[in-house]
Amino acid sequence: MAVLLPVGTRKGLFLLRSDDRKTWDVEGPLLEGWAVYHAMVDPRDGTFHAATNNPFYGASVHRSADGGKTWERAEELGLPEDGELKLNATWHIEPGRDSELWLGGDPGVLFRSDDGGRTWQLNEALFGHPTRERWQPGAGGMCTHSIQLADGVMYVAISAAGAFRSEDGGESWTPINRNVAAEFMPDPYPEVGQCVHKLLVHPQRPDRIWQQNHCGVYRSDDRGDSWERLDGNGLPTSFGFPLALDPQDPDVAYVIPEQSQEHHYTADGRLGVYRTEDAGSSWELASSGLPQRAWVAVLREGLAYDDEGIYFGTQSGSVWTAPRGGAQWTEAARDLPPILSVEAAAA
Amino acid sequence: MAVVLLPAVLAAEAGGEKRFELDAGTVGEALRQLPVRNLLFDERGELRRLINVFVDGVDVRGGRLLDEPLAESSEVRVVGAVAGG
Repeated sequence: MAVLLPVGTRKGLFLLRSDDRKTWDVEGPLLEGWAVYHAMVDPRDGTFHAATNNPFYGASVHRSADGGKTWERAEELGLPEDGELKLNATWHIEPGRDSELWLGGDPGVLFRSDDGGRTWQLNEALFGHPTRERWQPGAGGMCTHSIQLADGVMYVAISAAGAFRSEDGGESWTPINRNVAAEFMPDPYPEVGQCVHKLLVHPQRPDRIWQQNHCGVYRSDDRGDSWERLDGNGLPTSFGFPLALDPQDPDVAYVIPEQSQEHHYTADGRLGVYRTEDAGSSWELASSGLPQRAWVAVLREGLAYDDEGIYFGTQSGSVWTAPRGGAQWTEAARDLPPILSVEAAAA
Repeated sequence: MAVVLLPAVLAAEAGGEKRFELDAGTVGEALRQLPVRNLLFDERGELRRLINVFVDGVDVRGGRLLDEPLAESSEVRVVGAVAGG
């Protein structure tokens, strides 16, 4: 099946298309002048949405109903004008129930749109969460970067506030960070304040959640009520940003470890994708075809998957793709601007 | 009518228009009429920090900024600050 990869970069959006996942056409840059932190194609209507940021003109969201030819910017996106906080960045867009869309942003905020992304309403429950004073920004800001909906339950993850669950459509949020380390805090196991880097729910097994955290890789089999730490057993380090799953096999996950909290490049001087096939009990290198000497970085939105393949983009501007399983990687594009995000959609 | 000139990214967001003729008494009145006003001002209505405004070649950041009066023939140029090396 033909695939489309919206690739968000620091200098606009690129669209990679392939019929056979071997040869790729590259279109772009679109949204020139905007850093595209995340871009996706809404599977419900084919509309493109992009979380766009500009150092001069602030945080925004763009939508395109014609495959990226023309773009419409959301109006009046921001936080309450009488408050102390300002919207610093937009980070992630996720389809919700029915026609709703969700948007995560910095400082630890969430918006909902009921009109296809034209207007956005602030989620007051997360904005006014009673634990907010204990949240703090990570190096990338205090970003709401993960939004997941599964089986009527919603999850968000914020760096560095932790993960939260809502069972009432976002009316209230419960911290779900038990057993998740925050080794940079005086209390290494606080209620909130964890630095989640990416959180995903398995689409076929919605009780199972994975997270790559600042302090380890974790899996929960009870919707986040408790977590098991999974690093070691084959992973070179516990630190990294991106995470991918296998849509058909809930025991499979992929991470791309980095050297350390201080050194944000791939571990052991190689571009290493690590795969588990046993729910995190063991990890093995799945990097055939990838550079064996490399000091690159893959950001939290830079790894994607679909039914047939797995895809990631580097800060050095390369897009790598492999068939499901990650057995053999090929470079789909190179010399793009620094890549911030990769998604996969049906072309 | 004062003339407002926009840089490329703002012009693209304004439907490709980089030149606007506006009836405005001050810089603030002119900028708030633009279709890209929410890119120039944050949610509190404050001009974003890295946006400079020149009126007839003079940087009004050092003056009255949004209250700077405009004449009929004033040219207002919006410029991103030199940032990033």
